[in-house]
Amino acid sequence: MKFVEEFRDPELGRALAGEILGLVEPGRHYKLMEVCGGHTHSIYKYGVDDLLPANVELVHGPGCPVCVIPMGRVDDGIALAHQDGVIFTCFGDMVRVPGANGSLLEAKAAGADVRIVYSPLDALRIAKQNPDRQVVFFAIGFETTAPSTALTVKRARAEQVKNFSVMCSHVTIVPPLRALLESPDLRLDGFIGPGHVSTIVGARPFEFIPADYGKPITIAGFEPLDILQAIVMILRQLAEGRCEVENQYSRVVPYEGNVRALEVMAEVFELRPHFEWRGLGFISHSGLKLSEAYADLDAEVRFAVPGVRVADPKACQCGEVLKGVIKPWECKVFGTACTPERPIGTCMVSSEGACAAYYNFGRFAREREVV
Amino acid sequence: MNPSAEAGCGSEHCITCGDDGVPMTVLALDAERQLALCVDEDGVRSQVETALVEPVAPGERLLVHAGTAIASLAASVNGSVR
Repeated sequence: MKFVEEFRDPELGRALAGEILGLVEPGRHYKLMEVCGGHTHSIYKYGVDDLLPANVELVHGPGCPVCVIPMGRVDDGIALAHQDGVIFTCFGDMVRVPGANGSLLEAKAAGADVRIVYSPLDALRIAKQNPDRQVVFFAIGFETTAPSTALTVKRARAEQVKNFSVMCSHVTIVPPLRALLESPDLRLDGFIGPGHVSTIVGARPFEFIPADYGKPITIAGFEPLDILQAIVMILRQLAEGRCEVENQYSRVVPYEGNVRALEVMAEVFELRPHFEWRGLGFISHSGLKLSEAYADLDAEVRFAVPGVRVADPKACQCGEVLKGVIKPWECKVFGTACTPERPIGTCMVSSEGACAAYYNFGRFAREREVV
Repeated sequence: MNPSAEAGCGSEHCITCGDDGVPMTVLALDAERQLALCVDEDGVRSQVETALVEPVAPGERLLVHAGTAIASLAASVNGSVR
């Protein structure tokens, strides 16, 4: 398969692992954060971490948009789904995320019309097919997904689809990274930057990481060799005393990003003053809502949304996992009370969540041996 | 609707949280509506927004996320991993 197989070559993988071994200083511990949930998933799926020396530790960041959705936001979605005449559409990732009073899947079982879609365009199609119903799309995701929602909102306007609206929960990647870097309990040596978010925003927004915090970042693709090469590039920067934004994923990430996507996002969205992140609290200018010009397509304007605020479950340590302060298996409920079948925290729901990745790929036992 | 959507999060990969990008090939175009019929490596066909990567042509390979092409793979010449 072109663009895939050449990035899974075992010989090249071993060569990169050798290069990593040659770059690390004995006695120094390296902590690198992969920002994106997709990277977390690939690392455990392909066993990338098994190729790393013991003193190179990968820390899993907040880049899973499902994992960072607070419970109150899920409850708001469920309240909307239960309104008369509403068809509530969302990505499959979201339906099992627990709110304070169950999940969207449980709401569906209780009679709400909740439908899984693959794209916002599918939600718009459902709206066209059901002109007598109100169709709400629960929009989540970072800048990779936000342009898709923006284009669909513009299409709904252009095609005069009046029964379509969006409950916008899109988030942006830079503010949580800055919040993490400001966190006093975090010690990191470098970042593996998000690949497809950067396809949209480019590499430039990450320049503050080396400039303000003195940490290197390498934007990486999602195949095992992409990740290994990104680790080589970060370690080489550290070894040479450099600190820059580098782009390992240049085959799809232009330095300036996708200008058209940025333009359509600027037209359709505006920044919320604050947005709540699970485990990280409220972060300024980190969430998107529909702009004034598109307010008529905003589900939170069209419907009465309760605006629920729910504290995270006490037993759940998703926040510390998301900040990379603890490993998933160090959480008190990991693998016992909290499993992918019956998740307490969102990190166990999404297959890209750090907890689910550890659980599904059997890392709770092996990690203990290593550590 | 793409059949993989029905699998939801129980499948191996989540669309949004995986920052997923699926390489797809353009089969046919509706240039006026900026939509393309595309097929992925498994033969699954779906409608894709092409506004962010216009102009596109049949046979072109696109990187698709949540029903929207976010990059053209044809333009990606720097694919070396070395």
